[in-house]
Amino acid sequence: MKKRRTAATASMVMAGVLVTAGCGAGGPSAGGGDFTDDKVVLALLNDASGVYKDVSGPNSKIAIQMAIDDYQEKYGDDAVVDDIEVISADHQNEPDIANTKAQELYDREGADVILDVPTSSAALAVATQAKNKKKVYINIGAGTTELTGAQCNKYTFHYAYDTWMLANGTGTVVTEEGDKNWQLIYPDYAFGQDMVKSFTGAIEAGGGKVAGTIATPFPNDNFATYITKAGAAKPQVIGTMHAGGDLINLVKQYNESGLKDQGIDLAVGLMFISDIHSLGVEAFEGTIFTDAWYWNLDEKSREWADRFMEETGDRPTYAHAGNYSAALQYLEAVQAAGTDDADKVVEELEGKKIDDMFLRNGEIRAEDHQVIHDVYLARVKGPADVKEDWDYEEIIKTIPAEEAFRPASESGCSM
Amino acid sequence: MSAVLQYTVQGLAAGSFYALAALGLAVIFGVLGVVNFAHGAFYMLGAVAAAVLLDTLGLSLWGALIVVPLLMLVFGMLVERLLVQWLLPLDPLYNLLLTFGLTLLLVDLVKRRYGVSGLPYERPSALSGRVEVGGVGLPVYQLFVIGVALLVCLGVWLLMTRTRVGMIVRAATERPELAGALGINVGRWVTPVFGFGVALAGLAGVLAAPFRAITAEMGSDFIIILFAVVVIGGLGSIVGAVVGGFLVGLVEAFGQAYAPTFAQVLIFVLMAVVVLARPAGLFGREEATA
Amino acid sequence: MLEIENLSAWYGEAQALREATLSVGAGEVVTLVGRNGAGKTTLVRCLMGLHRHLTGSVWLDGRDITSLPAHRRARAGLGWVQDDRGIFANLSVEENLLLPPRVSESAWTLEQVYDAFPALGIRRRAGGTTLSGGEQQMLAVARVLRTGARVLLLDEPSEGLAPVIVAQIGEIVRTAKQSGIGVLLIEQNVRFAATVADRHYLLAQGRLVESLDNDEFVERQDELLEHLGI
Ligand SMILES: Nc1ncnc2c1ncn2[C@@H]1O[C@H](COP(=O)(O)OP(=O)(O)OP(=O)(O)O)[C@@H](O)[C@H]1O
Ligand SMILES: [Mg+2]
Repeated sequence: MKKRRTAATASMVMAGVLVTAGCGAGGPSAGGGDFTDDKVVLALLNDASGVYKDVSGPNSKIAIQMAIDDYQEKYGDDAVVDDIEVISADHQNEPDIANTKAQELYDREGADVILDVPTSSAALAVATQAKNKKKVYINIGAGTTELTGAQCNKYTFHYAYDTWMLANGTGTVVTEEGDKNWQLIYPDYAFGQDMVKSFTGAIEAGGGKVAGTIATPFPNDNFATYITKAGAAKPQVIGTMHAGGDLINLVKQYNESGLKDQGIDLAVGLMFISDIHSLGVEAFEGTIFTDAWYWNLDEKSREWADRFMEETGDRPTYAHAGNYSAALQYLEAVQAAGTDDADKVVEELEGKKIDDMFLRNGEIRAEDHQVIHDVYLARVKGPADVKEDWDYEEIIKTIPAEEAFRPASESGCSM
Repeated sequence: MSAVLQYTVQGLAAGSFYALAALGLAVIFGVLGVVNFAHGAFYMLGAVAAAVLLDTLGLSLWGALIVVPLLMLVFGMLVERLLVQWLLPLDPLYNLLLTFGLTLLLVDLVKRRYGVSGLPYERPSALSGRVEVGGVGLPVYQLFVIGVALLVCLGVWLLMTRTRVGMIVRAATERPELAGALGINVGRWVTPVFGFGVALAGLAGVLAAPFRAITAEMGSDFIIILFAVVVIGGLGSIVGAVVGGFLVGLVEAFGQAYAPTFAQVLIFVLMAVVVLARPAGLFGREEATA
Repeated sequence: MLEIENLSAWYGEAQALREATLSVGAGEVVTLVGRNGAGKTTLVRCLMGLHRHLTGSVWLDGRDITSLPAHRRARAGLGWVQDDRGIFANLSVEENLLLPPRVSESAWTLEQVYDAFPALGIRRRAGGTTLSGGEQQMLAVARVLRTGARVLLLDEPSEGLAPVIVAQIGEIVRTAKQSGIGVLLIEQNVRFAATVADRHYLLAQGRLVESLDNDEFVERQDELLEHLGI
């Protein structure tokens, strides 16, 4: 998934493990010598200016700082480390830039953990660096199942969502609700192809069929004819795997096409609340999609969302909440381990059961490092039902953690 | 059959944006010799301005179709006065670079101010829905876009062929030095012509607002296609810009229908074929041998 | 009415004109004769304000126009006929005629132009460059007459044209002269020059080497021809 998701990364962590190690004569270490440079550095690596800026971007740095503050408040004098810092870098959704930045962050900036990294190819590059440098990487922004599949490794964790979970949620449920005959439109690159595969599996599992698929160039702004073509096959539902600006183009032109009036629904593979916010609920009204988190889900979410809004002026996306949660859980693991040593922290994280404002019934699966949790099937509200800004989603189903993600047995991961 | 009609309408609607914007690009190139790289950004500003005016002042599409081009006219004239004019005496490459830099600046400013996810836009309800033509439901808005584009192109054509201003612009386009030596103050026309070209890009942006994603980046791919349009039509040729615009729109639509993955590639194949067969483009004149 | 003082011009380092001083009076036809590359075209381009790397001054009706831009010189009464005729391909014959603004009371009307040049009237709607070479030359001359220019600058109008047409151009020059228009005629066709002009300047390597009246000019025609290498 090239672009798209943003997510912010957060970075937390501490310092670095190996970094120069000059330790030798090194200075006295405040916390007892178990922390490289006597501090923990969390590094957010994401898209600071491109298409995923709104969904995660710089606001995720604020979310990570909130996690640091909460950690310090909670442990006070008992904290195993006093000096915790968040830094950030822009990878412009380019895998080679992400690769270089990850190296710099780990080696030169003393990052103990890298957070976020939207764009699957970039995330995979960072995962490889994490493995080589033996430093922690927690992905929030990217959707590829490879991170917990063939390319999994001991230091990489996958938070929030992936393509399997999106397809399973949207594909299965929409099919079970009666839309059995599908046409899929997807952007012709790795993410899109991946999504089509996952969706097809989910749709067939739900008893439906994919009658046709249409590949489109990426990026693209004119979908009118693709939509007409898909509609001409008379499906019950058209599934789109597009995201960001392409998705907005496609939805506007779907609304224009009249297919809605003919009863041909639109299901969206990947959508963020920031997309709805920018295009308006009218355009998306009734669209069904799978969300990893929603700010107005319950009291716990809302409370955190209010704090976030005070800091940023906006409601949080899943990525802001995910970066906060990942940063906090990382710091909890550091606290428990008493060190920022990556191997020890990983040991703490593996198998940990978590219930926080982001993860419900969460567990960091030891086998493949997939972080499983409850996810939600959402329907976009109509304008009349929107009571405040960002009040866009009606949660129609909660998919329990054990069903929401690909079973570890199918992941193909061996560490 | 009904599908072919739909594809044709979709192609002409997309072609409308290309034709209008390419027309602006062509007049600017003709009179100033400037390849205006910022044309895609001006198209984007047109759409963003329409969205912002709707959001803040409640100005509907009808109003935006008048107001935004006027704003863009003024903005274009300012750009010409403050920036472009200083580089006109130099190699045209300098203005290409200037307008390229201006593009980066405008895109970034819009991103900073309005974010990257895009802006919402709602069109007047009179333009929603479909009309039945031969058993096929055609979107009213697409037909409206085609109608507006054709009217504006016709208007520009009449302006260029039937008025003294048009005559002067044609003369200045062909041989600016000679036009000057015959008593025409060519410099006086440079600023309004630049503004006019920018206004056309802005108008294309307003028309695109209801059915394209309104983002800072929306002009980035658009400008590349526009360059293909003017190369196909003939650099500086007004008729060529319009015909090239609609042609490219149709190629895109039928490409999407019959060769989905290659829809965009086809445009550049068409461009390559035209350049090989007629280097000056379909309506371009070969360089006069001086 | 047109006076040029110490006009020197350069292309980069290369000097193309050296301190040329000459004048053209009302109703006077003056030729500038010189071989290829002598600097004749450079001189008229300096007069029109199209070549600006120069020293010296240009006066029209006692007014210094040296620093005026081209379009204001045209409006002040200079009518330029370019060496390649300068017909606009994108303009019809009639638009070519109507493009330049009228600059004096003596401007010809379209009817007068079409009376004098019937071929232009017949083809008024045709594209400018669809005319034959001779017709284009007529159009170029008619165009400056229609503005009412008081000094014509004709750059080799006879070049490449059939003798009948050259004779016609001679007719026009004489008509212009009778109406008080001054003409600076650039020519390599010495025989033609001798039939229309009052005075002649000889230009060699950017320098005015001789100034002759028409009788002297006719007497020394063979010598001059040799000088010009024709
Ligand atoms: N644009 C230019 N750059 C450099 N040198 C030039 C340029 N134009 C003319 N020259 C040179 O200046 C000199 C005078 O040229 P000019 O065109 O004035 O001659 P001319 O007398 O009009 O010749 P012709 O009879 O061929 O028209 C020539 O040596 C020519 O090579
Ligand atoms: Mg010459």
